Amino acid sequence: MQDRPDAAELAQAVREFLETEVLSTVQDPRLRFRMLVAINGIGILERELAAGSAPMRREIAALTQLLGVAEAPDDADLRAQARSLNRELALRIRGGNAPEGTLAPVKAIVADKLRIASPRYLERFRE
Amino acid sequence: MTGADAAIADALRACLVPLFGTDAVIERLALLAGGASKEAWAADVRAADVRHELLVRRAGGGVIHSHTLSLEHEYRLVSVAYAAGVRVPRPLAYLEDLAGRPAFVAERVAGETIGRRIVQRPELAAARAAMPAQLAEELAKIHAIPLDAVAFLGRAAAGDVVDRVERELDAADEPHPAIELGIAWARAHPPKARPAVLNHGDFRVGNFVVGERGLDYVLDWEFGHVGDPLEDVGWPLVRSWRFGADDLRLGGVGRVEPYLERYNALTGRNVSIAELDYWEVVGNLKWAVGSVTQSRRHLSGQERSVELAVLGRLTAEVEYELLDLLERAG
Repeated sequence: MQDRPDAAELAQAVREFLETEVLSTVQDPRLRFRMLVAINGIGILERELAAGSAPMRREIAALTQLLGVAEAPDDADLRAQARSLNRELALRIRGGNAPEGTLAPVKAIVADKLRIASPRYLERFRE
Repeated sequence: MTGADAAIADALRACLVPLFGTDAVIERLALLAGGASKEAWAADVRAADVRHELLVRRAGGGVIHSHTLSLEHEYRLVSVAYAAGVRVPRPLAYLEDLAGRPAFVAERVAGETIGRRIVQRPELAAARAAMPAQLAEELAKIHAIPLDAVAFLGRAAAGDVVDRVERELDAADEPHPAIELGIAWARAHPPKARPAVLNHGDFRVGNFVVGERGLDYVLDWEFGHVGDPLEDVGWPLVRSWRFGADDLRLGGVGRVEPYLERYNALTGRNVSIAELDYWEVVGNLKWAVGSVTQSRRHLSGQERSVELAVLGRLTAEVEYELLDLLERAG
């Protein structure tokens, strides 16, 4: 186990430094834009680290249920599992036999991704 | 000027002599944007006591992408558009060899190009009000260009936008159920086929130069191709090109109805809002896959860039909008 700061705290420290000390010194508009993009990238990293494996476990549970397949053992590699389930679903949609009611769970999974990648974008849809 | 810049300045001056005469002097040369695929330089040239402000687009050192036009074809396309009266910065010369790489020279224009500012700035309110009709007018001119004037573009079948999206997704080798749902929907709802026209290919806020009177110039022709006219007409409706002004469906600047009315009046094409609904979905489909592809340019090392990297994660934004549209369409 690494000493503190943990990964999310370290990412936060770097983001705060860029925001408070570096950003104001960047005059070139194109470089400034890329700096904002970079700061946003670190924000994504922070949220992903803070969320841990919960979103991926939710995704796997939703896809397992939708596809009606057996759950993988607890110790299986989550990323590989999620990828294989997504591949299976993608193939079924491509082959014209998507499970009944595919849209809602897929939308919920994308919303879960946005909570990490772009939470403010998701808020814009709440009318 | 650094050594490399001086080499380009010398080469550029030599190339410009036929255009401006032997007394042409390069007073300023500055790199505006670098990149693996293309560079943009600002050059100020003085000749016969007249100052010319030029923009030089030059190939980058990286791989050239097959899905965008070569600089030579882009130059030819812009020249055809300029001759047809489309508002594009005046093209001046194609240079086969500018210090080892192809380039083209055009008039350098001023104005706002940043999407967020175009949709937000109070001083551009009148410009936004004028833009729906102006966008329709430019598109009508582009879509009226005879195809034999752009024979060099080749003729990818007009109906295969969705096939193109599917091939592009397969090339990225990452499963995207949301995009698959979009592809399936688009195939289940084929649009009325229309005769193919010249498409700009990336006609949207972000690729326009906007002044206080509205649209001044249409930039970025590298995605020009022959296809269904509504692919172009529907593209600026895509939510990503509203730059946060979500309520204004036409690029965050206005309503779709006056735009469509003007386009129909000028072209006689009788396009319905329902047809644009389809092309808006397809536009989101194209951009969802496009953002996956762009992130691959970073990941593969073709063009390392923090912007392209983060774009991979923003695919989810476009997918969410796509699924929202599918849900509404039923």
